[in-house]
Amino acid sequence: MKKNKSMIFWFCLPALLSLLIMFVYPVCRTVAMSFFQVESLTASTADWSFYGLNNYLKIFKSQSFLTSMQNMLMIWVVGGVFTLALAMLMAVVVTSGIRGKKFFRAAIYMPNIISAVALATMWIQYIFQYDHGLLNEIVMLFGGDKIKWLGSDIKFWAMTASFIFGSVGYYMLIYISGIEGIPQDLFEAATIDGASKGKQFFSITLPLLKGVIKTSVTFWSINTTTFFLWTKMFSPIDTEQSTIVPVVYLYDTVFGGKGVINRDAGAGAAVGVVLTLIIIAVYVVTERLFRGSDLEY
Amino acid sequence: MKKFNWKKEVRLLPGYLIVGIWVLFTAVMLFWILGASLSTSREIFSGEVLKFASGFHFENYVTAWQVQNVSVFFGNSLLYSVVSCVGVLAIAAPAAYVLSRWQFRGGTALRIGLVIAMSVPVVMIIMPIYALATQWGIKGRLLLVILYILMRVPYTTIYLLDFFSTLSRTYEEAAYLDGCSGPNTFLRIMLPLVQPAVITVTIFNFMSVWNEFFMALIFTTSEATYPVGVGLLNIINSMKYTGNYGGMFAAVIIVFLPTFLLYIFMSEKIIAGVTGGGVKG
Amino acid sequence: MKKILSVLLAAVMVMAMLAGCTSNNPPANSTAPSTNSTAPSTNSTAPDDQGNEPAGKQYEGVNLTMWSMWNSDEPQGKVIQEAVAAFEEKTGAKITVEWKGRSVNEILSASLESGEKFDIFEDDYQRIANIYKDYTYDLTDMAKAAGYADHSYACFNDTVVEWTTERDENGNVTKEGFLNSIAEQPQVGGIFYDKDAFTKAGVTAEPKTWTEFLDVCQKLKDAGIAPIAQDSAYADFAFYHQLVRHLGEDKITELDTNGGWANDAGAVAAAQEIIDLVNAGYFADGAPDEYPSSQNKIGFGQAAMIVCANYVTAEVNGATGTEINWGLFNYPAVDGGVDNGSAYIGTNSLAITSYTENAQAAFDFIMFLTSGEMDQKMADTAAQIPADSRNTAPANLTGTIETLLSADSPMTWCNGFNARDDLKTSIKSTIVELFEGKFTTGEDFCKALDALY
Repeated sequence: MKKNKSMIFWFCLPALLSLLIMFVYPVCRTVAMSFFQVESLTASTADWSFYGLNNYLKIFKSQSFLTSMQNMLMIWVVGGVFTLALAMLMAVVVTSGIRGKKFFRAAIYMPNIISAVALATMWIQYIFQYDHGLLNEIVMLFGGDKIKWLGSDIKFWAMTASFIFGSVGYYMLIYISGIEGIPQDLFEAATIDGASKGKQFFSITLPLLKGVIKTSVTFWSINTTTFFLWTKMFSPIDTEQSTIVPVVYLYDTVFGGKGVINRDAGAGAAVGVVLTLIIIAVYVVTERLFRGSDLEY
Repeated sequence: MKKFNWKKEVRLLPGYLIVGIWVLFTAVMLFWILGASLSTSREIFSGEVLKFASGFHFENYVTAWQVQNVSVFFGNSLLYSVVSCVGVLAIAAPAAYVLSRWQFRGGTALRIGLVIAMSVPVVMIIMPIYALATQWGIKGRLLLVILYILMRVPYTTIYLLDFFSTLSRTYEEAAYLDGCSGPNTFLRIMLPLVQPAVITVTIFNFMSVWNEFFMALIFTTSEATYPVGVGLLNIINSMKYTGNYGGMFAAVIIVFLPTFLLYIFMSEKIIAGVTGGGVKG
Repeated sequence: MKKILSVLLAAVMVMAMLAGCTSNNPPANSTAPSTNSTAPSTNSTAPDDQGNEPAGKQYEGVNLTMWSMWNSDEPQGKVIQEAVAAFEEKTGAKITVEWKGRSVNEILSASLESGEKFDIFEDDYQRIANIYKDYTYDLTDMAKAAGYADHSYACFNDTVVEWTTERDENGNVTKEGFLNSIAEQPQVGGIFYDKDAFTKAGVTAEPKTWTEFLDVCQKLKDAGIAPIAQDSAYADFAFYHQLVRHLGEDKITELDTNGGWANDAGAVAAAQEIIDLVNAGYFADGAPDEYPSSQNKIGFGQAAMIVCANYVTAEVNGATGTEINWGLFNYPAVDGGVDNGSAYIGTNSLAITSYTENAQAAFDFIMFLTSGEMDQKMADTAAQIPADSRNTAPANLTGTIETLLSADSPMTWCNGFNARDDLKTSIKSTIVELFEGKFTTGEDFCKALDALY
């Protein structure tokens, strides 16, 4: 077919402009800003003064930032393992031929359509509540002592657990569609050969889902680096050490949270760059780990 | 209906238990929120939510809708989601079509750029955008809609691109012979052909925008422009002064209910949208 | 080519329609307002000192925009709406209120800096004086003309002037301070308590010293009422009182800046006293709890006292649906304390942007809102302390006006912990652990603080 040059140009232009305005320019400016001393976001570039690596030195010397990175790492690793494993478990059960498959699939995904603000409030005021919360009622039913789920030492895990609960459904859907893409005759053949369900899972399902798992790991990583709302909900008055994550640190630094007097957009930009580098690293590593994952069947 | 097979069901029992407990927990949660929305603050804080000792407090819903501006937040969310879904299609579909059809200078670069843009974290973007928006004096609803549109362009383009490239070229050739121009062919013939993909990606975009929180928090700066997420957070923050927690949970239910109904009727489509989007992405 | 054009045109039209239905708000002004404007507006007539309305409406055609820290559904928001309507009726000015909610303090800096178009804004007076100073209007002359000093609290006005004063390294004044905010909702801190609980436990007098305080705690405990409620959100504020008694605020700032807590006998003693409270079982079950669980216990009659500011009374009443018989006493004096008298005072205040075009009209509205009838309404509706000292405080805050009028040594809201932005959250976490009973001695706690540096 004939190439219609003007059509190509006009059809691509809006997308190109979006890319330039929304991604290319901001990323370049953020990277640049991370090497300058910039107090306010809206300061004109004329007021920037070159600062070398000092913004990076500043954030890596800040206890809050280091804690936030540590918290993020925990959410990524521990939360990731639990979320993806639970999601896989749910996906396998839902596709195992149980009755009411569609119901279970829809019900498990449902927390995803409830506003996270509402979900978090429910967890805090009901599940984890000290005096008459669900968990402590269960604990007392078994004769145990009430536990301070939101005390400073386990608050982080309480938050992570509620985040996991809200996330499982989404990854389950991804796995379900992956499992359903595996030809049924593979399982039938295996069943005839006398392979148990467990064996089938580890020798057929898991290897064939490599590509889907890679996708889910990448998604999880990106989600973790943008973790923000749950921290805001679990520390409603002030940012707290137990729940701080990098984006919250960035937000406080750049926009001047409660009581933060010295705003520092340069340091905020440095946090953004560090997060991006982490995403790139994770991406490269998962690519390596799951290399050759696009098995043909 | 499948025949009931005792042996099979027993074998699946552990599976039923696992998903059963999970779903039960979700249900308990929902019932508690529903119960809280019909209780007084005192009952919520003394752990008597599901007892309804003082009756059902439906006035919480009236308060939430009229006084706490949930209607405004809801309208805003709907506006942001609908307008950006349409806007992003207007930008992404033509580009996806052209990119899938022809090799041209810069085409590959644009495609790679879009793929990379999909995984750029939002924190890399917001700071310069904030500066730009202030400089250009764009704010409020308009700004947020523009941002949502631009934000969703890379993903939507790449998603649709895959679908356009599966379409046979014979359609265009026939159209060309009939004297149909390029843009016309696109609008009248090609776009309808990828309709399922358009629906899927639109559902996915809709959900992303509906649930978006961070940008909304930064770029909406007054009650009149809050979407539901930020609006709810604001209601919770103001609880500190009004103490009407029953009203807050009523607000949660009001926000949740339409989405829930929509979900019940469209769960197949939504799930298809999410997984299609997820796995492709 | 023609067809392409028509498609494009259609696309443009669609976009225009989209844009059209999204921009219900008025288009942003494109002219950057100058930030160094100090001249008062010229397009409004001077106010009449006696309050007599000049013939014709005074501010006909004047448009004001106010950024509020409240939501329109809150009691404060409702009073503001009422005041706006009355002021518009009276003067002919048009006031648009944008309800920003509590997060207004997260956007004000950036918005002021970029010269966003608004005239009046609300925030904590400490932040207005310290952070936004350069973007605020000097209200000194207008306040003088309006006789503001006669019905306001000197403690706020003097503090604002002190905070806005610029000094060089040697402490010489390089720039005089000025009044840049008008108090709207004053706050008083201390120990708020349920008078009925005290009566029930046989406590007859408010404790003045730490020993008396411990005695009260024991009596309450014996009567089966948890003495002190404590939510972790306010743990730093509670411990700050204990530290201020022993050290004074300047010393806290000094320690906060450089560390060395464990070498300071006062800091160790303050921490030890909190640990003793914890060990004696004087805190409510679950404390330090997740806000607002613990403070609500007072509403349920399970706890008696809380260290907080006056809004706790309205919060607890609202959340638990009760009318507690509230009392307030100043934080008790400690043995050998450096600062045994100070109490927290603070206020949400109103300020005017330095670049406004209608300063006088804005100021008149602020006066209208913060004095006389409207202020009384604000105090009654929101159960707060009136900003106009001639008004009367609502029942749950009896005596607070007198406290404010006589306050000579105000304590800030944990300003001493703000010296190091990077350590703020770590210090707060350590303090929460102190209330959780994680430390066996005050020295352990101070060492844990020092380990952060």
